[in-house]
Amino acid sequence: MSVIEVKNLSKTFKSKVKGKGLKGSIKSIFKPKYKTIKAVNKVSFNVEKGEMVAFIGPNGAGKSTTIKMLTGILYPDNGDIKILGLDPRKNRKKLAYEIGTVFGQKEQLWTHLTPYDNFKFFGAIYDMKDYEIEKKIEELKALFELDEFINTPVKSLSLGQRIRCEIACSLINDPKILFLDEPTIGLDPVVKENIRSFIKRMNKECHTTVFLTSHDVGDIEKLCKRVIIINNGTVVLDDTMENLKYHYLNKKIIDAKMKEKINLDDEKGIKILKDKGYNLKIEVDLKEKNISDAIKLLDPDKIIDINISNTPLEEIISDIYKKDK
Amino acid sequence: MKKYLFIFKTEFINSLQYVKSFIVGSLSLILIIYIYLNLWNFLYSDPESLINGYSYTQMIWYILFTETLWSCIKGRKIVRDISTDVKNGNIAYQMNKPYNYINYILSKTFADFTFKLLILLPAAIVLGHILIGNIPNFNLLGCLLAIITGILGTMVNVLICISIGLLSFFMEDAAPIYWIYSKVILVIGTLFPIEFMPEIIQPVLKYSPIFAMNYGPAKLFVDFNYDFLIKVLISQVIYLIVFYIITNLVYKKGVKNINVNGG
Amino acid sequence: MLTEVKNLIKITFLSTKYAIMREMENKVAFIMNVLFMILNNASFILVWVVMYSIKDNINGYTINTILLLWGIASGTYGVSRAFFRGAYELSNKITDGKLDAFLVMPKNVLIQSILGVTPSAFGDLLYAYILLFISGITPYKFIVFTLLLILGGIVDVCSAIIYNSLAFWLGRVDSLADSLTGFVTMFGTYPDTIFNRFVHILFYTFIPVAFIVFVPLRILINFNITDLLILLGGSSIIIILACIIFYAGLRRYSSSNLMVARI
Repeated sequence: MSVIEVKNLSKTFKSKVKGKGLKGSIKSIFKPKYKTIKAVNKVSFNVEKGEMVAFIGPNGAGKSTTIKMLTGILYPDNGDIKILGLDPRKNRKKLAYEIGTVFGQKEQLWTHLTPYDNFKFFGAIYDMKDYEIEKKIEELKALFELDEFINTPVKSLSLGQRIRCEIACSLINDPKILFLDEPTIGLDPVVKENIRSFIKRMNKECHTTVFLTSHDVGDIEKLCKRVIIINNGTVVLDDTMENLKYHYLNKKIIDAKMKEKINLDDEKGIKILKDKGYNLKIEVDLKEKNISDAIKLLDPDKIIDINISNTPLEEIISDIYKKDK
Repeated sequence: MKKYLFIFKTEFINSLQYVKSFIVGSLSLILIIYIYLNLWNFLYSDPESLINGYSYTQMIWYILFTETLWSCIKGRKIVRDISTDVKNGNIAYQMNKPYNYINYILSKTFADFTFKLLILLPAAIVLGHILIGNIPNFNLLGCLLAIITGILGTMVNVLICISIGLLSFFMEDAAPIYWIYSKVILVIGTLFPIEFMPEIIQPVLKYSPIFAMNYGPAKLFVDFNYDFLIKVLISQVIYLIVFYIITNLVYKKGVKNINVNGG
Repeated sequence: MLTEVKNLIKITFLSTKYAIMREMENKVAFIMNVLFMILNNASFILVWVVMYSIKDNINGYTINTILLLWGIASGTYGVSRAFFRGAYELSNKITDGKLDAFLVMPKNVLIQSILGVTPSAFGDLLYAYILLFISGITPYKFIVFTLLLILGGIVDVCSAIIYNSLAFWLGRVDSLADSLTGFVTMFGTYPDTIFNRFVHILFYTFIPVAFIVFVPLRILINFNITDLLILLGGSSIIIILACIIFYAGLRRYSSSNLMVARI
C-alpha cells in the first residue's frame, strides 16, 4: 500500500472581484461578484514508503493547497486522499500523530526555551512517555549534530541552527511522512547544503517518506529522486529526477560580453537568444554540444565577461507545460 | 511648513481605509454616554437641580464633549508607536530626514484627529440631542469657539502623549506611565469637571494642564462666556508652548543618549 | 477518553507555564506591569468616591457593593486575559490562516488557539483579591469568590470565542470583536440596577455580563439557590454555544471555497 494515495483531487476557490473605484467598492458590498479559480484540478499520484518526492511548481500553481489537503487543514471539493490508509478529513487528529510538518516560514519552536525543552514539550503534545522522549532526543542529537547547542535558547541560535532544530523537532514523534514546505528558504548556500545532508541522512536511516516543496532547484536536484510538477492546478510531470535532468535540464545559457562579434549562426546545438553589439546570449543544447566546446566556440581570448547558468525552473516548467499541450 | 501639510494630507487620505473599524470603535463612545446618562440620572434626584453648579443636561453634554474629543485621538497608540520607533532604532533613521520628528508626529496625529472629529463630532451632537435635548444656553458662536478650544486642548494632550512615548529612551516600557496619565485625566476633567474635586485641590487644578486640555473647552461648551474663553485660551497658549519645548527637550536628550550608547 | 483529557490538561499546563516563563524573562518589566495595572484600576475608584460623595446609595449599590462588583469584574478579567489571551486575538488568527499550525497538531484546536498569557492581567487578578480583602474577607468568601472568578473568567473567554468566531463567516472582524469584549468589560464595572429592562435582557444574552459579574455578585453577597442555578445554567449554555460555533466555523474554514488571504 502506498503511503500517500491521491486520486482526482480537486479544489476550487472563489475570489471576490471588485469593480473599479468608489462605485465599484460600494457595489461589491451589496452585490459581490466572484471569480472561480480551480486551484487544484483532478490531481492524482501515489507515493511509496521511503520515497523523497519533490512537489514543485510556480507560485499559485496549487502546491500549498494540495499540501494543506494532504495534512487535513483544508477539505477537498472532490477526490480521494489516503495518507497511511487514513482520510485526513475524517481522521485529522489520528493522522497528526503519524506525520510531521515543517512550514519554512512559520516557526513552531518556543524561542526562549532551549531545543531540549522544546523537544520535551512537543513530545508531550504527541503523548509520548518521558523515556520515549529522552530516547528520541538522543537519536535526534546524533542525527542532526545538535550537541553543541541543545541547551542554548532558540533565540540565540543562528538561522541555520534554528531550522535544523525545527526539522529535528518535527521528527520527535517518529513520523512516517514528513511534509516540508520551503525548508531552506532564506538560508545561505553552505547552510542549505548542510540541511540537505541531514534530510538525506534522516531519510536513509529512518526510512521517513519525504514530501518536499521548494523553489530551490538545488533542494530538488540534490534530495529527490522523484519530481511531481504542478502548474495551474494540474500535474504536468510525474517522473524521476534522472529523466527530468535528461530531457529537460540539459540546456545551459551563456551570457557573454565579447571583444568582437562572433558568428554562431549555423552552429549545431546553439540557439542565439540575444545578439546586440558585443553582448551575446546563447542557449546551448547539451545533447548536441557539450559546454566546453561551446565555450571554445566563443574563443576564450575574446571574452571580456561571461555568465553561465541553468535554464530557470519556471522556464522549464512552462516548456513542459507547452509540450504537454 | 509645506511638507507638514503634505504629511497631513497623506495621513488624512490614509485614514479613509480605516473608516469601518473607526465606526465600530465609536460604538464605545455611545456606550459610555449611555452609561453615564443612566448613572447621573440616579444622582440627580431632580433633573432641574444643580450639583456643584451643573445641571443634569450640562453634565451629560460635558461628558459627551470630552469623551468625543478623547475618542478622536488614540493616545495609547501614539505612545506605543513612538516607543516602537525608539526601541527598534527607527528614530535614528528619522534623524536623517529633513524634518523634525516631533512635527512629523504632530502632523500625522492631527490629520487622523481631524478626520475622526469631522465624522464623530456631528454624530455626537446629534446623539446628544436625541438623548437629552438641546445644548444648555445654546449660543452657536459660543459652541464653535468651544470646539476650537477643544482642538487646541487636544493638541496639548497629544504633546504630553508624545513626551511619554519619548520616555522610552530612558525606560524599558513607557506604557504604564501612559496608563496612569490617562486615568488621571479621565477622572479629573473628562468625567468630572474640576468643581467636583475636593475643594482643597481645586485651585491647583485650575492652573494645571487639565484646565487647558479638557475642563476648559468642555465648560465653555456647556456654559459659555467670553471671560472664561480668554482664560482658557491663555492657558492653552502657555501650555502648548511649554509642552512643545518639553517634548523637544526630551527628544534631544534621548537622542544624545542613543549616540552615547552607540545605538 | 480520560487519558486524552489528561494529556490535554498536561499540554495546557506546560504551554501556560512556558508562556509565563517567557513573560518573566524580564522580571522588572513584569512586576512593573502588574503594579501599574493595580494602580490603574485603583484610580478608577476615585470616580466612585466622587459619585458617592453626592449620594450614598445608587439604586441599591453602596460603596461596598461597588468594591465587590469591581472585585469580580477585575478578577474575571484577570483570569480570562492572564491565561486565555489567545481567545481575544482569535479573529485575526482565523483570517490570517494561523489556525493551520494548530490543525496539524494532534491536539484540540480550540484549546491550543485560546491559550496565551498577558502579564498585566495578573495585576487585575491581584487587585480583585485586594478589593475582597478591603471589603471584609472570610474563608468562606475567599473560596466562593475564587470559584466565581474561575467560572466567570471561563464564561468571559467563551463570549470572546463567540465574538471572534464571527471571523469564520464575516472575514476581518477584529474591531467588532474587540468592541464587543470591551462592552462586556465596561458594563461589568457599573451597577446593573441603573439600567432599564431592555438592557438587562442584553446582559443575559448578547453581552453576557450577567453570568460573568452580576449574578456572581448577588451570590457572593447573599447566597441563594435560584441565583446559583441561573448562573450554572447560563454559563453552561454559553460554554456549549462557544464550542458549537467555533467548530462549525472551523469546518467552514477547512471546507472553505472563499479565498481568504492565507499563505
